[in-house]
Amino acid sequence: MAIDQQDRREERAAWAFLAPFLFLLTVFFFYAAARSIYFSFTDYDLFNPPAWVGLSNYFALVTDPLFGNALVNSLTFALFVTVTQTILSMLLAVFVNRIAFAQGLARTVFYFPSIVSSTVMTLIFLWLFQRQGIATDVTNWFFNHMPAIATFLAVLIGAQVALVLNARRKYDDVGAVDPLFLLFALIAAVIVTLACRILQVFPAGTYEEPISWLNTRDTFLFMPVTLWSIAVMNIFTTVPVLMLLYLAGLQNIPGSLYEAAEIDGATRWQMFRKITVPLLNPVTFAVVTLSLIGTLQMFDQVAILGTAAPIESRVTLAYYTYYNVFPPGGSPRLGMASAGAIVLGIITLTIVFLQRRFGITDKGV
Amino acid sequence: MRHLSLALLAGTAALALAAPVLAESHAATVRIAGFGGSDPAVITNLLDNVLAEDIAAAGITVEYTPVDGDFSQFILNALSAGTAPDLFYVDIFWSDAIISAGQAAPVADASFGPALIPSIADAFTRDGVLMGYPKDFNTLAVHYNVDIFDEAGVEYPDADDTWDDFAGKLTAVHDALGDDVAGMCLVPDYARFGAFALASGWTPFNADGQTVLDDNFRRAFAFYTGLAETGAGVVAADVGEGWTGGCMGSEKAAVAMEGAWMIGFLRDSAPSMVWGTAPIPSDPVSGQRGNLIFTVAWTVNANSAVPEAAQTLAALLTSEKAQQAVLEQGLAIPSRAALSDNPYFDGTDVANIANRIVFEGASDGNVQPYYFGSYGGAWMEPINAALNSVMLGETDVDTAIANAQAALDTLMAQ
Repeated sequence: MAIDQQDRREERAAWAFLAPFLFLLTVFFFYAAARSIYFSFTDYDLFNPPAWVGLSNYFALVTDPLFGNALVNSLTFALFVTVTQTILSMLLAVFVNRIAFAQGLARTVFYFPSIVSSTVMTLIFLWLFQRQGIATDVTNWFFNHMPAIATFLAVLIGAQVALVLNARRKYDDVGAVDPLFLLFALIAAVIVTLACRILQVFPAGTYEEPISWLNTRDTFLFMPVTLWSIAVMNIFTTVPVLMLLYLAGLQNIPGSLYEAAEIDGATRWQMFRKITVPLLNPVTFAVVTLSLIGTLQMFDQVAILGTAAPIESRVTLAYYTYYNVFPPGGSPRLGMASAGAIVLGIITLTIVFLQRRFGITDKGV
Repeated sequence: MRHLSLALLAGTAALALAAPVLAESHAATVRIAGFGGSDPAVITNLLDNVLAEDIAAAGITVEYTPVDGDFSQFILNALSAGTAPDLFYVDIFWSDAIISAGQAAPVADASFGPALIPSIADAFTRDGVLMGYPKDFNTLAVHYNVDIFDEAGVEYPDADDTWDDFAGKLTAVHDALGDDVAGMCLVPDYARFGAFALASGWTPFNADGQTVLDDNFRRAFAFYTGLAETGAGVVAADVGEGWTGGCMGSEKAAVAMEGAWMIGFLRDSAPSMVWGTAPIPSDPVSGQRGNLIFTVAWTVNANSAVPEAAQTLAALLTSEKAQQAVLEQGLAIPSRAALSDNPYFDGTDVANIANRIVFEGASDGNVQPYYFGSYGGAWMEPINAALNSVMLGETDVDTAIANAQAALDTLMAQ
């Protein structure tokens, strides 16, 4: 009896602690979501009473070319950015975890891009991606020096492979990136490249054209060029946060597993593939889920770009919703905006469910 | 006598009863809101100095809120929430969102409209009713760097220039000074290109309300985009600038096509620059100039609790007295036609000349407000896309115009 009373007291206390959050959740999520669902079936301009139009807004979405752009842009952006930043953050975490010297400093330095506000970072990238900005200069330099770079890499790889294969004929256990051979290969590559340059073997590069990284309707592979630029920026700012999650996950992998694997003769790559990656599965699930939700709702960096890029090249589903609430110079279209938001919500839930069902799960091995 | 006494008594009683009501209507507090930036200094000066006595005499107390950031979003939110001020700015560009939603009260004073420059009054007139008190306006003009033209040995742009003369001067500047200095700075934006399109005789909306990118439009389009190809112009983004004024301020281009806001910009960012202003060149075929009107009006909230006081205050803020005070400080160009004779416009300072040319731009040739009805900015996007794609070399003129026409047709069919 006393236990029942205590249970009830604890339950009441739990509800009391939960009440403020539940209140906020009810008002700002459930009520707002219900209103959005209702508005998505109406024609509403913020001023006149909403007029019921049934599924008209959803049919209008299908025929609106801008919605089509937003849908494709959002899905491709989410897929590319999620995959890339998951891989990069895991590799970065493993790298930082292995650093023996000044690990704290390395973590701080790598985390730094995430401290800077999204607005400031976007403005910095806008500057970098100007038609005649640093990104253009670097790209032009790369293309102008392509023969030299190719020669350098060819000699470096060729010399290293030759040295390693030659050594393996006499000795066992010669690593593919043996440091001493790498040093010789590097020296050979520098000498050959410099010699070719002095003898003017390489043709003079003539790339000087400004490149439109943002202000263009061109597409590259499956995404507008503009969105590629935004993807680079997004990955740069998000990877450090995800790296921290992986670092925390790496702390939980017992060192004895690596020791046992080493005794069994496993290589570093095998240890990474057979121990690190599987045991980080719960973290990877969280990282992928957070990335999918974050990228599908991409808004701020797109909005800050503003008129620096054409709307079709940068519009995402979240921005499409905003664009319909505040169309430049036009009347608010709350019905279309709400329909767009509902579609975005359904897509997000569906993709996260499919990811959980068929992709990486939160269960470790 | 007895009847007279009764009538006096009744009159006195009526006055006594009405006194509190009259007093309330005269002692109204009017909440007003406008842009942030440098505007609050102008408005505060009007409220505290120029119009202080008139406002007090009208029994009005003003609560002024300048709003930094996107004013259109602020006012749309405030109006929908029922918290909007009694009197607020409406930019012609997004005026339809406010006026078509019934959120603006018509101008009560019938004598106000005829006192305005006709094209300014037309901009805020809907179905024959004036829906706001235009406080000032801007048009486009050609601002040029005198030193660059002198160094190149080329004549300055002037009022007699046709497009061809103008392009010839720009090309000559570029040829004389090399790649470091372009003739004119260009942006792929209807807000600048529109002046050329309108000069050609093309109209944004025909009698059926449709946009047809006809041969006149094509002629203007080919001229404007062709400036970038011949070296007469340079795209602002190609020289790391976001707008044409930036190119001129940093001396990357000799000419910028902007409004009177260039006066303050050049004063702050290039104080030692010697510059001048000329009207937009005319189309050699139509013989006309074109221009766009950028204007902002004080608009009375249709749901204001103090509509009469708000109307009175709006009339005071846009009165000849207020506009003259603002004009004489060179801060804004008056919307009232009577001020065209103001001695300020006869001044020989570059700011006086620039303001006069911008003022005259509202009445010279084919002039349209920077306003696209219920389509808003979406109407411009296909045209801007076409300009951009040609200027970047991604497509040719005819393909770009055909794509823009198709996009406009889709927009208008929605």
